Amino acid sequence: MGSSLTPHATNAVASVGSGFLEVARVVGGMAVLAFGAGTRVVRLRLDWPELVRNMHKMGVKSLPIVIVTAVFTGGIMVIQAAPIVERYQAHGLLGWGAGFGTLRELGPLLVALMISGRVGANNTAELGTMVVTEQIDALRALAIDPMSYLVAPRFVGIVVTLFLSNVFAVLLALLGAAYSGYALLGVAPMVFYQGLTGGLLGVGDFFHGVLKSVVFGVVIAMSSCHFGLSTSGGAPGVGRSVNSTVVVSAVGIFVLDYLVSFLFG
Amino acid sequence: MKGETVKSLHPPPPSSAVGFIDEERLRRQRRGLAALGHSAIEVVDEIRAMYRVLEQTLYFTVRGEVRWGAVAQNMYDIGNRSLVFVCVVMGFIGMILVYQAGLQTMRVVPDLSNLGATYLELLVGELGPTICGLMLATRVGAGIAAEIGSMTVTEQVDALRMCAADPVDYLVKPRFVASVIMTLFLAVLASAVAFASGMLTGNVFFDINPRTFANLSVVDGGDLTVGMVKCIAYGAAIPVVSGHCGLSTYGGSEGVGQATTRAVVNSSLTVIILDFLISVAGYVVFGP
Repeated sequence: MGSSLTPHATNAVASVGSGFLEVARVVGGMAVLAFGAGTRVVRLRLDWPELVRNMHKMGVKSLPIVIVTAVFTGGIMVIQAAPIVERYQAHGLLGWGAGFGTLRELGPLLVALMISGRVGANNTAELGTMVVTEQIDALRALAIDPMSYLVAPRFVGIVVTLFLSNVFAVLLALLGAAYSGYALLGVAPMVFYQGLTGGLLGVGDFFHGVLKSVVFGVVIAMSSCHFGLSTSGGAPGVGRSVNSTVVVSAVGIFVLDYLVSFLFG
Repeated sequence: MKGETVKSLHPPPPSSAVGFIDEERLRRQRRGLAALGHSAIEVVDEIRAMYRVLEQTLYFTVRGEVRWGAVAQNMYDIGNRSLVFVCVVMGFIGMILVYQAGLQTMRVVPDLSNLGATYLELLVGELGPTICGLMLATRVGAGIAAEIGSMTVTEQVDALRMCAADPVDYLVKPRFVASVIMTLFLAVLASAVAFASGMLTGNVFFDINPRTFANLSVVDGGDLTVGMVKCIAYGAAIPVVSGHCGLSTYGGSEGVGQATTRAVVNSSLTVIILDFLISVAGYVVFGP
């Protein structure tokens, strides 16, 4: 163990320190980017055609994935609730169990993970390609602000996409849950519906999930734009940035999921 | 025969310049039934190509010799380097689930003594393997596709073929073996982390005694078998799906980005669909 700090620091303290600095650099970069995009959005200085194009590409084209994820989520919820329902013979509570799991946790979480893979990764790849082919520099040379032309529309696009996908997905997941409950356990969809609206679940549970999806949208937008814009080193560099985006988005989603659950529980 | 298979992994680049916007315009021109049929054919083709990679991987794993050096290197990349990521995520998942489940259960019955047992049963059969599988699908899937994809666009894969080394044998197989082994270990560790953080949350927020919480009575062989089968299935699916995405990359850095995106989405979807299928099979075989 050498006591001096070499460039390839091998001792434990140095690696902890450099890991911490790396985390601070990423979080700081994301915060600066979010601030820059936020001021453009508040002052309405963003490129509207680009916004519409992004919302179409992110929202409409993610629909098949969201539908598949939602239907299977509903089915999985029912299968997992099945042993508990059978054990206590509480068929009326199936709607409540599947409903609260889907509305509050699994719906927003799984939709956010899928959108992070589909939209966040795609966004990083696009921005990263523009960086390595020097298109961002070209924009600057033409006196076009890359923040309001590229970053702000993507921020708004991702947040709106995730919000709408979540509302759509939880409704679809509950439909999937109702029919797989009927197929597997023989619980009539009407009984499921009554369990859902029987007073144990309120509008608050739905809005809890919606709030989560907005927070996740901000995280995905921040990390995907940050890693896209800090790409370097050609084609392998683009691959590496996409990899970092999905990892950071996933960690951010889970950490903020905990914080939102805890603060607004 | 081998030549044909290799060729089909490389779709020809689109006739117009490769670009996000051009593809968009092409798709907009197909309307109604034609668009639906086109996307259905695309999905079927993709599944068939993936199945072919799976077939080849299994063939080489059984028949050829395994290069254990490459497997060990990939085990380190897939396993050790995902360790912190998976542990952080699963620790938070444990806290969230116990907190939410505790609050909801209190609305119906004030008795929380069964919470730990039910949570453990869910964790072993479902959440441990699946959340871990989803995390590995994003991290490992993206990594594999980025690595193999940049080898493909820089023509290193073609160089391998020139040296008479099959890319599936040389690149996908070691990752396949490493991922099957490491997913199992990571899922077991991840479940343990999630259980420990859940136990802590139960103790801090709901005053559940850790001894009451750590109740193993409802976990049976069925839950354990379903959990293990899920781990192995995810571990096998992720490198095959993302290896296929990497090998079918074309078109420079943009292509690598698209391949990585496709790998993350396809492997996550595969994990969710496999989860559903194995859960149904487990329900049918072992009963409620």
